[in-house]
Amino acid sequence: MYSLKVSKICKHYAGTLLFKDISFELRPGEVLAITGWNGSGKSTLLRIIAGLVRPSLGKVEMFMEDEPIPKESRRKFLGMVAPALALYDELTALENMEFFCKVRGIAYDRENSLKIMERVGLTENATKTCRKYSSGMKQRLKLVQALLHNPPLLLLDEPGCNLDSNGMKIVEDIILEHRQLGMTVIASNEKREVAYADRAINLSE
Amino acid sequence: MFAVTTLVAVSFSIGSFRIGDAEKPFLYSVLLWIILVFSALSGLSRSFVKEEEAGTIDVLKLSARPQAVFLGKLFFNLTLLGALELIIVPLFILLMNYKIASPGLFAAMIISGGFGLGAGTTIVAAMIAQASARGALFSVLSFPLLLPLMITAIKGCERATDGMNTAGWPEVRIAVAYTIIMIIMSLFLFPLIWEE
Repeated sequence: MYSLKVSKICKHYAGTLLFKDISFELRPGEVLAITGWNGSGKSTLLRIIAGLVRPSLGKVEMFMEDEPIPKESRRKFLGMVAPALALYDELTALENMEFFCKVRGIAYDRENSLKIMERVGLTENATKTCRKYSSGMKQRLKLVQALLHNPPLLLLDEPGCNLDSNGMKIVEDIILEHRQLGMTVIASNEKREVAYADRAINLSE
Repeated sequence: MFAVTTLVAVSFSIGSFRIGDAEKPFLYSVLLWIILVFSALSGLSRSFVKEEEAGTIDVLKLSARPQAVFLGKLFFNLTLLGALELIIVPLFILLMNYKIASPGLFAAMIISGGFGLGAGTTIVAAMIAQASARGALFSVLSFPLLLPLMITAIKGCERATDGMNTAGWPEVRIAVAYTIIMIIMSLFLFPLIWEE
């Protein structure tokens, strides 16, 4: 069983205080929403949890059966979708998946990748280079990339970004399904996305 | 393209007939390594910058071990450098009428020097990827790091050209040691650079 503990996180950026004393714990099956105005630090907080940005103060810990997971291994246990995370445009969707499987050290299974792509409605475009993808299709592929290794922690920054109503339904299904497996943190101001959360932290307060 | 342009310019400007036989071993070695190093500096600095500009650096950080990323980039840079040397060195020999007394030592120096150059530039490329004045910073940081290797490589090629005192290939050994030290240090240093 996995859990996430965020303790008194504080972030200064270019001399300005973005947020302070953010603390919460997350257990399997829980969905947390992080809300706040533009520039309030939602994405930064998610990046701190992912280990992409260092907090000015405080710490993020992840546990497996109450044993702490070393920070350098945390990436194995999380999947992230964010507007700033791009995939390789020069590769096809399937080649992207193969690449990420290989760098993650997991066996690449073309059939499994196609199955996940079918779930997000990308099967017909699986062999097209991502350069030819629309922004909505890229967002769907980012969801596939984040779910490829079945991570217990899913970090979703504006998951509905660029998605149509069908795409939004896919995101909702993923959040609901992931509730059975692990923890989800959503950074968004969209009421539809936040509605799935058990609790919310508003960074603007 | 930069390498070929420089090589053609050098061969047309100072071609083989303008340099005396006594100066040839040293001057040819200097010219060859100047062309190789500057071509490498112009191309290899892009290895991490490209990830930064394409926005793929974060997804790579979330997916791969830092050491795996470094070794991947190093392998890519070495392949690029190998291809560059395969084109430039034979062309240089041909255009400059470059006579080499000890081809074995010369080839070993080019290969080991290339490995050192690749190892040195890869870690500097990682350091400058998130900086704003990348080009200038890359040159400034590379200069002290690559200078000992360049001096060694020039000396080794000079020795191979004139065929004097070639026993033991000391410059090749130094270049190999430089490469090993640079790779080991980079493997320790890279995870710190890779994080914010």
